[in-house]
Amino acid sequence: MNTNIENTIEAKVEEVYLSFKESLVVLAVVSIVSLASNWAGTGINPIKALPAMLIIYGMILVGLLLTKYVRIGFPAVAWVSLISVLLTLPISPVSAPILAELKNLNFLSIVTPVLAYAAMAITKMEVDLFKRSGFKIAAISILVFTGTYVGSALVANALL
Amino acid sequence: MKTQSTAIGLLLNWRLHLIVIVVSALSELIGIQSIPVANAKLLFLPLFYAFILCLFVNPNITKFSGKIINKKNASIAAPIIVIGILPFIAKFGTLIGPALPKIAESGSAMVLQELGNLGTMLIAMPIAVLVFKMGREAIGATYSIAREPNIALVSDRYGLKSHEGIGVMGVYVMGTMFGTIYFAMLAGFLATTGWFDPRALAMACGVGSGSMTAACSGTLATAFPSMKNEILAFAGASNLLTNATGLYVAIFIALPFSEWFYKKLSGEKKATSAMTKGAN
Repeated sequence: MNTNIENTIEAKVEEVYLSFKESLVVLAVVSIVSLASNWAGTGINPIKALPAMLIIYGMILVGLLLTKYVRIGFPAVAWVSLISVLLTLPISPVSAPILAELKNLNFLSIVTPVLAYAAMAITKMEVDLFKRSGFKIAAISILVFTGTYVGSALVANALL
Repeated sequence: MKTQSTAIGLLLNWRLHLIVIVVSALSELIGIQSIPVANAKLLFLPLFYAFILCLFVNPNITKFSGKIINKKNASIAAPIIVIGILPFIAKFGTLIGPALPKIAESGSAMVLQELGNLGTMLIAMPIAVLVFKMGREAIGATYSIAREPNIALVSDRYGLKSHEGIGVMGVYVMGTMFGTIYFAMLAGFLATTGWFDPRALAMACGVGSGSMTAACSGTLATAFPSMKNEILAFAGASNLLTNATGLYVAIFIALPFSEWFYKKLSGEKKATSAMTKGAN
């Protein structure tokens, strides 16, 4: 593997982090994109789904704040997940109103744009790496993915 | 000051977001489709179409798309994904919360399936070392599912320019490019075979990244519509657990084990070839 590729690999890994302010701006844009996708997928118009999106934006805002200030190695996804789980526990007083609003957002429709961004994000380095040692890496990757998935499913299946 | 505004400007570049809106809307309008294969079914979700359509508009992949969007504006999509998955994670959490009592009942299954991903090594490592004759790249490539925390660990231990680093980056790149779709198709296929409890398949969906979990459990929910909420809740909870504990499993179990297993395999490889030579 030549140094050029290794450099771009490092550059890519380092480049991923946005500042707090940038994250909030990006989040607002992604929310609008998600509302459009949700509209096309479910027919629920963006105005009707807006309260649901605002609730989600609020949860993420708190999650990002916690990631920034409570440095215990928890990634943002874990904080956001934790907040939204706690707010919707059966004993939570806000659970019912949150769930009622969030019905207007289809979970699959808000993933569709993420996959679109993912495909747009594929870089020259990744295409090159794929072309060069594509077959070996592809074969090993498929084994890794299959092994991980089936391994977890087998353990879970045996213990359920 | 100027760099700051350029960064925001790049993030707000309307071309990228417009492409994503158009492609997403189009994909959503096509909707969920399926193709029967033997006794099972391959499910196709809008997120697949969105991914594939955008590959054609990626200027790094097709030449003509350079006219629609330049490489710089396309590359800013990478950090956007990190933020873009959060609304989904939040929505996911609202499915876990109400179902938490039910999830708690499956306690040991939920916790121990985290260790199921050690199965990766048992299958992938021998093939990497014995069939593909890979060196220490095999450790990086097969010790985990190669998501961000795993890269961080390898980078910390060996450095990303090391053999282990190249291995983990290779699988990471493959996962980024095709992992989401592969997981979804695998889950959808296994779902229709009837070999597994749908809740077990759902928990296994949580082993990777947020978008892998999303696509994987989305397909399962489509395959078992009556169990939709339960499936999403189990997958989400499993992913939450992976996020919380995955790194520790990697540090204390997976990586030391893969070091040991690699030494064992590469040692055995020499022994075997010595034996074959002797026999000849």
